[in-house]
Amino acid sequence: MKAWILRSFKKGIITSKFPRGKNETASPWSTLPIYKKGKQDPYCPAGAIAQGKVDANRCISCGLCYPEYEPSMDIHGSESSVSVSALKKSIRIYQIDVGSCGACNLEIGALANPQYDMTRLGISFTNTPRHADALMVSGVLTENMREPLRRAYEAMAQPGVVFAVGACAISGSILGKAVSDALHIDVTVPGCPPDPFTIMDAVQKARGIV
Amino acid sequence: MKQSNIALLESEGSLYTLDRFTVVPVLQTGGTIRAIEGEKIAFPESSSLSVFPYGPSSGGMVESVYFDILTQGEKIQHVGYDADFKNRSIKLSGLTMNEALLRIERMNGVHCAAYSSLFCNICESGINMDVPDQVKYLRIAMMEAERISSHLFVASRLTGGASQNIAHMNILLLREELLRTIAMAFGHRYFFGVNGIGGINRPVDLNGFAKKIRHITDEYNEIFRTLMDSRVFIDRLDRSAIILGENSSGPALRGSGIKKDGRNFHTYYEGLEFRTITADGGDALARFIVRSGEIQESAAIVEQAVSRVSKLNVDSQGNERNHSFMAGGFMETPSGDASMIVKMGNGRVESIGFRSPSILNMQAFVESVSGNTFADFLFGYESLGIWICEMGDFQ
Ligand code: SF4
Ligand code: SF4
Repeated sequence: MKAWILRSFKKGIITSKFPRGKNETASPWSTLPIYKKGKQDPYCPAGAIAQGKVDANRCISCGLCYPEYEPSMDIHGSESSVSVSALKKSIRIYQIDVGSCGACNLEIGALANPQYDMTRLGISFTNTPRHADALMVSGVLTENMREPLRRAYEAMAQPGVVFAVGACAISGSILGKAVSDALHIDVTVPGCPPDPFTIMDAVQKARGIV
Repeated sequence: MKQSNIALLESEGSLYTLDRFTVVPVLQTGGTIRAIEGEKIAFPESSSLSVFPYGPSSGGMVESVYFDILTQGEKIQHVGYDADFKNRSIKLSGLTMNEALLRIERMNGVHCAAYSSLFCNICESGINMDVPDQVKYLRIAMMEAERISSHLFVASRLTGGASQNIAHMNILLLREELLRTIAMAFGHRYFFGVNGIGGINRPVDLNGFAKKIRHITDEYNEIFRTLMDSRVFIDRLDRSAIILGENSSGPALRGSGIKKDGRNFHTYYEGLEFRTITADGGDALARFIVRSGEIQESAAIVEQAVSRVSKLNVDSQGNERNHSFMAGGFMETPSGDASMIVKMGNGRVESIGFRSPSILNMQAFVESVSGNTFADFLFGYESLGIWICEMGDFQ
């Protein structure tokens, strides 16, 4: 026990000040690429670039548009069509994977890391959709996950917020169908996978805090 | 094609297989897929037993998977599973090598470095492309950093499950530091987009990379030693899901005392010094000990690999010609050895045969938990580092 306490002291405060302060880090290519140079739109395997702009919902964070485009390092790329003030105090999230590569799931889970410490903002995960205020959906929608997703949505207290986390869930990316094929999406969280700060920022937007 | 316990590729009525740790696909004369895949184990029926359906979407699991857990009192009698719920059936046929590579990276995004290196390595050998040693060493640095990250993740799941909250938080903290270090060096926390056929797609910055990784793994070592003094933690893992014999992969195989690691057979790792970690017992504790030892070894490999990379040019050109070939390969991913056969025709993927380590480890897991108590189920599963995403099939 003594060893653990000493270790904690040695580390000091490592929790981010975000969203009051600026995010300390960002995963470069998970942020929206922005135009740097070149006369023509470069090749984009996701078809996300048109007329000098990148469609955040399609971008798969591959970086193949480099050097014409470079990461913006802006983690505020999410969009929310809701602002649920009832969730300002606390929000409980149920994570559901409908066909992910695993990385989005881990980035959602990363909000529990000490560096992000979501609990200081009243964010928590729940193991059942019955106790959830929001669903965080990751991955492309597979046929077999359509029904479990619908059931999770119906089990959630209404009105529940639906987050589509990552390019797969938002647009189907290069791998399949978007989640909107089965459910209305309230919040899009772009990136492949999104940076944990982007996910945290999206949660705050849905609660009307940002 | 559905994955089997061996990589299979069907092309023009012929069936090819690739044995573990080999690179040459073998034509099976007279073989059929059904015969090679074997029969699925039938689920036993008994009125005195209770069946617990678990999943496919259950809080507490990282991915969607379904289990039927047959119990008698506290004891598990049998476990059946269905990993097909999130099967994306990723379509690769008709794609160029570069297009396929983006999808292979996302087959298991958490092990993107290993899978993209495997695919690039197979394609490069298929088209007889000379790849600079620097690129190989960079790939090794990526794969070993990824191994550390993956093993830390498994360690965090085990410590979390065993309510070792301080250790759990410290491991999460270290893994986050590692992911940030990777992002600074490679531009992405999971290495997406770095690997290209014959080279790399964007500049990387390895300044201070190996040192930072060593710092993280040293800190982990202290946590590991403290955990090994905790009777409570050890008791949770001890004798959980015992797996013995050759039918598992990666840390599970080495945790049963078998000194087999794909890195010992792969040309990429020739000339690098590292120990193959094994442990006795074949249980969740043995797998945890193997992973913890491998974290240290991977840090040493990263140091050696990075010291051999000086200046790397961004170059992954010359791969979109009309190549035709069939080639195979394997790679030791953090969960174990993966095998792949690639058939290209006129620059397009015709067919891909693949076998992930999770296919072997899942089967080994469900067989191993019979006789365990219900509480052991989670520790057994988490200790194997199974990834459902990589168990899907390709079109
Ligand atoms: S990062 Fe990849 S997907 Fe995104 S805009 Fe650039 S090329 Fe397109
Ligand atoms: S968006 Fe990207 S990281 Fe997320 S599940 Fe899809 S492929 Fe994986």
